[in-house]
Amino acid sequence: MTASDSFPASALLDVYRNTLKIKTVDEGLRRLIMSGAIHPVFHPPTGQEIVAASMGAVLEPSDYLCTIYRGLHDQVAKGMPMKLIVAEYFMKTTGACKGKGGAMHLTHPASGVMVTTGVVGSSMPIANGLAWASQIKGDGRVSVACFGDGASNIGAFHESLNLAAVWKLPTIFLCQNNRYAECTTYEDATSSKTVAERAAAYGPNMVGVTVDGNDAREMWTAMRDAVARARAGDGPTLLEANTFRFSGHYFGDQDPYIPKEEKEAEKAKDSIGRLRQQVLDSGVATEADLDALKAQFEAEFEEAVEFARASPDPGLDEIYKDIYGAA
Amino acid sequence: MSTEVRIPSIGFSTQEGTLAEWLVADGEPVEAGQLLYTLELDKSVQEVESPASGTLRIIAPAGEVYDIGALIAEIV
Ligand SMILES: Cc1ncc(C[n+]2csc(CCOP(=O)(O)OP(=O)(O)O)c2C)c(N)n1
Ligand SMILES: [Mg+2]
Repeated sequence: MTASDSFPASALLDVYRNTLKIKTVDEGLRRLIMSGAIHPVFHPPTGQEIVAASMGAVLEPSDYLCTIYRGLHDQVAKGMPMKLIVAEYFMKTTGACKGKGGAMHLTHPASGVMVTTGVVGSSMPIANGLAWASQIKGDGRVSVACFGDGASNIGAFHESLNLAAVWKLPTIFLCQNNRYAECTTYEDATSSKTVAERAAAYGPNMVGVTVDGNDAREMWTAMRDAVARARAGDGPTLLEANTFRFSGHYFGDQDPYIPKEEKEAEKAKDSIGRLRQQVLDSGVATEADLDALKAQFEAEFEEAVEFARASPDPGLDEIYKDIYGAA
Repeated sequence: MSTEVRIPSIGFSTQEGTLAEWLVADGEPVEAGQLLYTLELDKSVQEVESPASGTLRIIAPAGEVYDIGALIAEIV
């Protein structure tokens, strides 16, 4: 794979902008949960922002994304409007899923967020289906399946990678390796040293790459190459983004199973602070520009909260709508 | 505009929590993000931050069990 070195300053700023937006929504939702305003089952993306931010900076709005319960960063980076996200966390009719999906199922086809699933491993076959449709129609879209390290040990991973390679589908399998599946470590459940090296088992049509997902340059470049490959009809990529989960598996899980030193070492890397410094050093934006950006996202979030609070709850008449099967 | 402080739902199975201790006294100023009170749940103890800046108006005394969603204070 030709990993070009060119990483334009505009891309660096795009990644930082997405990162900041993700952080704003993540922190804002945490405040709402802790003040008892909303009661979602929330799987925080904290620590994995740069992975999604880079993905979003490369994808076109029309591209498809299938993500998982830990998907807030992916949804924000893919361009899902904050109002629709926040209103869904409030379970209001104005939310992305009319208040009936909640935090674990945010879906918004207009932004390309085709599904958010709580079934581990299920984002991959769905992304293949969308990619197959794009291949047949020749619409040039690519499909990204986000999933965790734990999900790479589910049968659907093998089925999906095999079929994507056989049919040369424009699917990007983005494994966000945060080293833990709930409380199980990567090493305790995974036979191979990396997830990406398994790509070799799927023949020459599948490419496998492992990157530091919290490094904007590495992550953005790998994502750009995978997207270019898929769009050109050259086949799928298994892209493993090494990252870390700073919060528990779900909000409230105090992760006693993660060694303190491991977390401290990751914190010390200060990936987002480093990214901010890279942006400033590149000259593409000033401190004042970045502060203004932060204020803009915070205002957008507050507006979304007001919008959600003022919106109605779904009525009982909604209960049998938008479901399969007869009531 | 005042901000309500309610018992949060943290994690999966919680129905209620014990408001163990107020870390800020009634009528005192608080900053958003400052630790406000400790909450005991089934399997954990959480220190809960203030959601806003202002003056704390305590509604519910410490040492008692409250349902999720119960209004325990306001920041005015
Ligand atoms: C098919 C299936 N099996 C088990 C679960 C329970 N479960 C939910 S999340 C999870 C861990 C998944 O870890 P990983 O794939 O690494 O993703 P992460 O949560 O770390 O982002 C498990 C086992 C599930 N939701 N679905
Ligand atoms: Mg994981």
